[in-house]
Amino acid sequence: MARVRIWQAESRPWSAYWRDHGRVVGDTLSYVTGRFATTLWVWLTIGVALAVPAALYLLEANLGQAAGQWRENLGFSVYYKPGVPLNEPQTLAKRLQAMDGVERVWLMTPDEALAEFRELSGIGDALGLLEDNPLPASVRATVNATVSTDGVARLAEEAAGANGVADVVVERSWLERLGAVREIVIRLYWSLAAILGLGAVLTSGATVRLAIESRLEEVKVLTLVGAGRAYVRRPFLYLGAVYGLGGAVIAAMAVSGLLLLLEGPLVRLFASYGRDLELAGFDPIFHVMLLAAGAVLGVLGAAAASRQRLDRMGLA
Amino acid sequence: MGIEFRHVVKRFENGTEALSDVSIAIPTGSMTFLTGHSGAGKTTFLNLLLRLDSPTRGSVLVNDVDIAGIKRRHLPVYRRHLGVVFQDGQLLDGRSIFDNVALPLHVAGTRARDMARRVRAALGSVDLLAKARLLPAQLSAGERQRVVIARAVVNRPKILLADEPTGNLDPTLSRTIIRLFRRFHDVGVTVVVASHDTELVGTMGSRVVELDHGRIVGQGGTSADG
Repeated sequence: MARVRIWQAESRPWSAYWRDHGRVVGDTLSYVTGRFATTLWVWLTIGVALAVPAALYLLEANLGQAAGQWRENLGFSVYYKPGVPLNEPQTLAKRLQAMDGVERVWLMTPDEALAEFRELSGIGDALGLLEDNPLPASVRATVNATVSTDGVARLAEEAAGANGVADVVVERSWLERLGAVREIVIRLYWSLAAILGLGAVLTSGATVRLAIESRLEEVKVLTLVGAGRAYVRRPFLYLGAVYGLGGAVIAAMAVSGLLLLLEGPLVRLFASYGRDLELAGFDPIFHVMLLAAGAVLGVLGAAAASRQRLDRMGLA
Repeated sequence: MGIEFRHVVKRFENGTEALSDVSIAIPTGSMTFLTGHSGAGKTTFLNLLLRLDSPTRGSVLVNDVDIAGIKRRHLPVYRRHLGVVFQDGQLLDGRSIFDNVALPLHVAGTRARDMARRVRAALGSVDLLAKARLLPAQLSAGERQRVVIARAVVNRPKILLADEPTGNLDPTLSRTIIRLFRRFHDVGVTVVVASHDTELVGTMGSRVVELDHGRIVGQGGTSADG
């Protein structure tokens, strides 16, 4: 009689593999709906842990967009001394326009400056009493995306050396402040994402561990009838995924609610700077990433808990 | 598949020696009863066969293979060659009798069309086909134990191991259960039954191995039954 090799399995058909997964999905949904209060508690805990970094991610994305919008205005203004002939700023404007990295150049004559001031200041009638125009000519230049803030400073320095220049103002302070705030938000985002992500993993792991404890008999039976480690762990990994996904849905809802709450004041704030509000990051990709992060964290917790528990049992 | 224990010693971490230099050969297709009082080493003997435990010294051979050499990842496949029956039954309460019996086939990845046929055959062999759709809680203790036996044989194991399978049953039901084991032994399955009920096993006419404090202290009955 041919020797039976006692550790070699027949190959499993794919249909059996998919059937197992289908059965586990059904069992998992039945398990979580059967303990809905516990499930909701876990979803809320993981949801809060995911909502904070998700909100910070959106804040960072929007600061980045705002920085991009402000960057479009990055440049400098050159103010001339009163009485300097107009050909001086005209020469400088031509020179700047020819320089690498300079996007646009505007020349504002003293008359144009006075007209604009009259329109914007609301004291047009008072200005009519002046005998001479006190405003100097000025040249404003903006740079393209290839020029750094240091590059802007160098261009401004070069412009300051032109004849008749009184002052040069580089418009970068807002951008630098925004950059600093953005850096803080990015660091905060990663730190909180790591801490709260670990919290989500631990929450999923602790809950899955309780599920394993309540199903120890089943685990023992499965082991005795020849179930492999993957087969035994599969229901618990699915359970972790469901906890994580549910938490991510709660987080998405929380962030949506937050945005709804802040949208009105934000629209008014942006309008005061002459800008339309277009929220960055709150799109299908954001939602898919959030759901994926939730599922991965849930599965990680379940994997750690099931591995540790099964190792301790020494069964599977 | 034959079984052989060669000078097997099993000592636990607390110093208890559950088996002391046990050597025994159980031929393919035989039926053997392990008897002895509580703590004699019967369950340890079965756990070593299932590789739930490993011997401290000596070797356990199944089909002439030292099972200590089976890699951890291959253990589930090895266990699929064994049918296991325990005293407390260990049926899954939330699943029907049919699903409980089908469990080893699910684990082995049996095709759906074969699964239904084999589960019906296994339930038929223990006269419980009519109760396939019921839940374990709806059955009597004797019926539940017969379901466990159906689950143990549904995968057509080469070896059937039972640890106190009649522990909770009255004498009539106990004889019914043991007769079921005989039926599987009759078709060539190697059967090892651990039982403290010496009166019951004495009437079965099979080989009886008596353990006491981890040692074989007596053997009787037919030595190569089958």
